[in-house]
Amino acid sequence: MKPNGTGDVQVVGLQKTFWERGRGEIRAVAGMDFTCHPGEVFGLLGANGAGKTTTLRMLATVLQPTSGWATVNGHDVRTAPEKVRRSLGFHSASTALYPRLTVRETLDFFARVNRYPADAVEERIETLLDRFALGSYADARVDVLSSGMKQKVSIARTVAHDPPVLIFDEPSVGLDVVNALELRRIVRELRDQGKAIIFSTHVMPEAERVCDRIGIMHRGRLLAVGTLEQHRDRTGLHYLEDIFVAELERAGYDGAP
Amino acid sequence: MSPLATLFRNEIRMLVRDTRMILIGIVLPLMVFPVLILVLRMVDRGESERIQAAVFTYAVTGPHGPWARELVGRALAHEAGPDLPGRFEERVTEHADSLLAVGTLHLIVEGAEGDPEDVARPPPSPGGATPSSSALLRLHYRAQSDFSRAARAGLQGRLTALRAAERDSVLDAAGFPVSASDVATVIPTNAAAPEREGNALLGLALTPFVLLLMLTGGSIAAVDTLSGEKERGTLESLLTTGLSRTDIVRGKLLAIVCLGFALVLVNTVNLLLYLVFGVLELPPHLAFGLAPVDVGLVLLLLTPLAVLVAAALLLLSGRVDGYKEFQIGFFPLLLGFVALSAAAMMPGMDLRSVIALVPVAGIGVAVREVVLGKHDWLFLTVAWTSSGTLAWLLVGLTERTLSTERLVGGATFDEAEVRGGPDLFPRRVLRWFAVLWAVFFTTSLWLGDTLGLRGQIFLNLVVLFSGTSFLLLRAYRLDWREVLSLRAPPRMAWVAVLIGAPAGYLTGVGLAEFLNAYVLPIPESVLEAFGDVMLDTGLPLWQLLLFLAVMPGVFEEIAFRGVLQHGLSKRLRPLALCLAVGAVFGLFHVALFRIIPTAYLGAVLAASVVLTRSIYPAMLWHILNNSVALVPARFGWIDADTSIPGRAYGIAVVGLGVAFWILWRFRVEPRRTRSADRAAGGDASRT
Repeated sequence: MKPNGTGDVQVVGLQKTFWERGRGEIRAVAGMDFTCHPGEVFGLLGANGAGKTTTLRMLATVLQPTSGWATVNGHDVRTAPEKVRRSLGFHSASTALYPRLTVRETLDFFARVNRYPADAVEERIETLLDRFALGSYADARVDVLSSGMKQKVSIARTVAHDPPVLIFDEPSVGLDVVNALELRRIVRELRDQGKAIIFSTHVMPEAERVCDRIGIMHRGRLLAVGTLEQHRDRTGLHYLEDIFVAELERAGYDGAP
Repeated sequence: MSPLATLFRNEIRMLVRDTRMILIGIVLPLMVFPVLILVLRMVDRGESERIQAAVFTYAVTGPHGPWARELVGRALAHEAGPDLPGRFEERVTEHADSLLAVGTLHLIVEGAEGDPEDVARPPPSPGGATPSSSALLRLHYRAQSDFSRAARAGLQGRLTALRAAERDSVLDAAGFPVSASDVATVIPTNAAAPEREGNALLGLALTPFVLLLMLTGGSIAAVDTLSGEKERGTLESLLTTGLSRTDIVRGKLLAIVCLGFALVLVNTVNLLLYLVFGVLELPPHLAFGLAPVDVGLVLLLLTPLAVLVAAALLLLSGRVDGYKEFQIGFFPLLLGFVALSAAAMMPGMDLRSVIALVPVAGIGVAVREVVLGKHDWLFLTVAWTSSGTLAWLLVGLTERTLSTERLVGGATFDEAEVRGGPDLFPRRVLRWFAVLWAVFFTTSLWLGDTLGLRGQIFLNLVVLFSGTSFLLLRAYRLDWREVLSLRAPPRMAWVAVLIGAPAGYLTGVGLAEFLNAYVLPIPESVLEAFGDVMLDTGLPLWQLLLFLAVMPGVFEEIAFRGVLQHGLSKRLRPLALCLAVGAVFGLFHVALFRIIPTAYLGAVLAASVVLTRSIYPAMLWHILNNSVALVPARFGWIDADTSIPGRAYGIAVVGLGVAFWILWRFRVEPRRTRSADRAAGGDASRT
């Protein structure tokens, strides 16, 4: 499906606050600004609790921003949430598949509910089965697949409707080395197809290898945004892990996420 | 195929592939009936065979033992009596009580000493032993033993028959002019067809049974569909698709409703096969008969229940975090539904009662009546509508629950939910009034007769209405002046009230008469009984006015036009607000025939508060309204037979129009009130 909008993601002043009994007001996201262009992997690098998932959930319209705005493929997350969701594929380590559906039914379901043209769904499914080497498992129920195959099906269902924007929220958590490598290869391939990809992770080597630009996130804020080279030039450090720690210290890191 | 249809197909596909659901929801219930009928037949046949073949042992005791033994011997030999089960054998023992307790003896026949004043001396019988003083025969048996009960019933039947025969012979011997056995013969005849008796049983049990099916089958679908999705991690995938939240709820709801209906249909057909079409022979004395149109009507009545159950299960599934939590929430839900549906089993729960307004319970009574062949269309419509409305509200609530961020966020993103206070109050006010209604309904039901009129009014108005109002004001930190609209109204509002109160009362009477004539005929006896309760209290007039006019005028206004109206005003436009406040006010006057007229009064009073921004005119209006209703009847100026001429209603409508024109003409805008309040408080703040 060709993107009918800008194909990018724009985030301006995005904030999310919530309340908990006993803790009071908590600013999960305290003002984020970034853009992710088509054909780019934008990495959100941060420790657990930095606000990455909350940011991505706001982009996926699962959560409503407290203030600020964001557009996905030119659609506002507040005013056109369904158009936003049809323009993106959301994949996270915590998302799962329906165990009692077959691989083919899974892809069919996600393509159709995201309004992929009905007459092209069959062809799209065959393409995906072929691309992810799932052909021989097409009619097997998901619950009998290995975890590596499930991972492939999960990514295939994320792109089933060929969205211009993809969000990967810590996708490699729990994956073995082989499957993690396969995941990175797929992400790079999707980027080469012109997708705008937001990739959140706390694994430094993964961010170095996959992301074109990296935003370092801490306590709901982006501390620094740039390519790996720009981060190196600015800090004078080579490894992303050192750069990350240096940025956190500069922001007054005290051990809390 | 639309996304909604795709989701629905997906849900059904997953449910059908769930073997647990097929097993528990369909296979097991399908097996229940034939197994139950076969077991009942086997038990019934086996029991009667065993009793017929049994040897019943009895012992004779007591000071008049010989007399009792002789009497029992003659009774057992008396062939004109009812058939005896099995064979009777006397056992001579010193320990009759112990042997009866352990089951070795089935019966003890005691020839006891009776009270000479109460017990007639037994008639001497030809050749029989006669006790020397007054005696009576006691039969000791154990009710928990089928054999002991059968022995007692058989022997008692024979003794009764013997006594009747001997009484007749004594009368004959004394020259009674006609045959004594022909005098005042009582022959009970059951006019009901066997199907009617069976249907009476079926009517009682059908709704709870169907609900159980819906709840057990539906729970498997519901737990899998939302809380299961949360636990599996598929919910977030679904929420990030192009489906709207409404589509998700409707797709899932539709799947559960379809499943619930499929279960009901399958089991209804199953039920009819055995009970009505007689595929298996039923136990003796058990027969059923249902016309096809009544089967259809019952299914139609059960429709809102299917949606209600599905919505409640889906709501629960959306609110909990996984299977375990679902189970914890499911059992109270199950108990609540089944308890409500069992209303049909309560004695005296008749048609045309307020039970029609209670969701689920109304359907239970309606189904019972339809199965018994009664079709009170008004009651059926009200019962269907009340359950349907609750189902509709629950569907809306479920949709909102799915839209809340807590579903995936794990924390609350709603400040009001955590901080409480005035922002939360508009969302909670109806919930609190629903609880208040339940308490009010229960106390009226159980304590009404005990407390008497004054006690009941004190409990309702002071304890319940004012107590709840005070607690809500405190709990939500509300500004009581603002909530209760404690402001001076425009002076012309008093004029409007003086015109409007009698006019409003008369139009209310007209509305009640219209309803009585064309919509909901109320038996005269009910109206008279209600009038008697209100007027024949023996109270002096001043107390009557205090308890039935002044106190309701003050306390009901605080609760309904104060607290309730303030809470709803944040969510509803003025017209909807007045109708909603009126409707809730009407529901608190639980007699079915009073609900609409009092709802009308409630809406009128709410409108006066909206227009004047003050509660005082509504209070006076309410007091005058009730006084106008009481005083003329109290002094006998009017009675139940008094007919009000049509032109009086016309004048009343005009009077009400004039009153509202005045209120509208001198209305107080909300903005003006706030600025006035600011102006009033400005000096204080400056100082």
